[in-house]
Amino acid sequence: MSTLTQPTIDEARIDRPGGASNILAVVRLHLVNRYSVFAVPWMIMGGIFVVNVAIWWIIFSSISSEADRADARDGLEFSGALFYIFVYMLVLGIQAVAFTFPFALGFSVTRRDFWLGSALTFIGLSAVYSAGLTVLAAIEVATDGWGLGGSMFATFYFGGADASWIERFGLYFAAYLFFYFVGAAIATIYQRWRNNGMLVLFGTLALLLVAGIALASFTSSWPSVWAWFGSNGPSGVIAWSLVPTAIAAITGYFILRRATPKN
Amino acid sequence: MSAVVEVSHLTRRFGETTAVDDVSFSVQKNTIHGLLGRNGAGKTTLMQLLTGQDFATRGEIRIFGEHPVENSGVLKNVCFIKESQRYPDDFKPRHVFTSAPWFFPNWDAALAERLIADFRLPLNRRIKKLSRGQLSAIGVIVGLASRAPLTFFDEPYLGLDAVARQIFYDRLLEDFGEHPRTVILSTHLIDEVSNLLEHVLVIDEGKLLIDQDAETLRGSATTVVGTRQGVDSFVVGREVLHREGIGGLASVTVGRLTPQDRARATEMGLELSPVSLQQLVVRLTGSSQTALEQSA
Repeated sequence: MSTLTQPTIDEARIDRPGGASNILAVVRLHLVNRYSVFAVPWMIMGGIFVVNVAIWWIIFSSISSEADRADARDGLEFSGALFYIFVYMLVLGIQAVAFTFPFALGFSVTRRDFWLGSALTFIGLSAVYSAGLTVLAAIEVATDGWGLGGSMFATFYFGGADASWIERFGLYFAAYLFFYFVGAAIATIYQRWRNNGMLVLFGTLALLLVAGIALASFTSSWPSVWAWFGSNGPSGVIAWSLVPTAIAAITGYFILRRATPKN
Repeated sequence: MSAVVEVSHLTRRFGETTAVDDVSFSVQKNTIHGLLGRNGAGKTTLMQLLTGQDFATRGEIRIFGEHPVENSGVLKNVCFIKESQRYPDDFKPRHVFTSAPWFFPNWDAALAERLIADFRLPLNRRIKKLSRGQLSAIGVIVGLASRAPLTFFDEPYLGLDAVARQIFYDRLLEDFGEHPRTVILSTHLIDEVSNLLEHVLVIDEGKLLIDQDAETLRGSATTVVGTRQGVDSFVVGREVLHREGIGGLASVTVGRLTPQDRARATEMGLELSPVSLQQLVVRLTGSSQTALEQSA
């Protein structure tokens, strides 16, 4: 093993830029196709919004009594329309690792710089999208549900109509981060262990779920489980999602550190 | 001269299979190396190890004197173009060329543009919809325009037509002349690149069979053709690498010949022809024939 000679190469030709510039390069790489990063999500949201407006219009033009209208408004507060946009972010998180990671490695990026740059991108994009949603929620509240009494942004899950803008922003932000990092972390498992990794992951998750249900049933602790959800509320649950998000961000890094992109 | 790549006792195992088996060699600065071998011989794995994409089971790798794995200082100076490179799903070629300069400090945009025109590469078509040759062209352009001090091409021109391949060879030599760097090229089209190569590494079943100067290697074997009797008497006591014959004629490949040998063969009315690099590699890796390993 000692046949290796001391480094004698011409150091002048070796560029040694700092780590920060590499990480920023990864951020720029994620954003280079502006169309799919910025245009497509808002287009999806626009599509969902149009469909929702149509539904609100149908609902409110078909009922006339004030009591029924109030009922409908209460129901609409539970709209899950925004869920689609978060699923799209989950897909973006998966693609970041499934496609951009092998490409970035081909561009001589280290796994460390890739993960840090990706994390920075996720945080930045989450902030931008959350700001957008916060503005839309404020408009929704101010126009009394887009003039139709509808609800898509300032829903029950994100603090309801009475939430402050900071609270809403924080909840959107946490939800975006969750889907980005969980998507990316799942994809790192695939990069590292391929199909076997997926089988083990989903097998383990299913087992944990069943074990949790069994535990709660046998110890008769369902009431306290529901009490936990009840006392935290949807907003509390979203805030708690920061814990799995952080776990995904950290484990994803260590999984990727030893991953090799395959053909 | 100094070594840009130094490898000692490198081994990479995947379960039962040994993709790279106790390989040691070094690559001198500013040379063009050919990494030759059959499919599955371990070429891609070796290059993935050298570029820090894969992890060695045993052995040492030094690139510019340092470990390549997760070493951004080293990797900034390395460009690895592989046939199977994946691109982000929604990318068009223009996204690749826009982002390349952020990663390769020596990127030459003018050269890239010239190559894009040479290869007639459409910049605004989704990469998923490009032909195999156009996909290869993207890699070739990145590999040349990045001007990385150490550039790996792994089967870079799958699907490229003869004209495009010639453009690649011409541009590579031209740019290499103006901006010397170290190039390691793996390919099946051995005869096409044989004039480009200064040094040849042949790998088979994970083992390094040849680590030899290309010039020396080209003269390392000769085919002797003539009457069976004449050929037989000429090759007596020589190492025979390959033999074939029809009727009274024989064609025998032997190892290196001295000028005296050559003169004698001519006297005996035998024809001598050099063995091409491709034939040499075929002879070497095509069967259990490994005699050349010692003679080369």
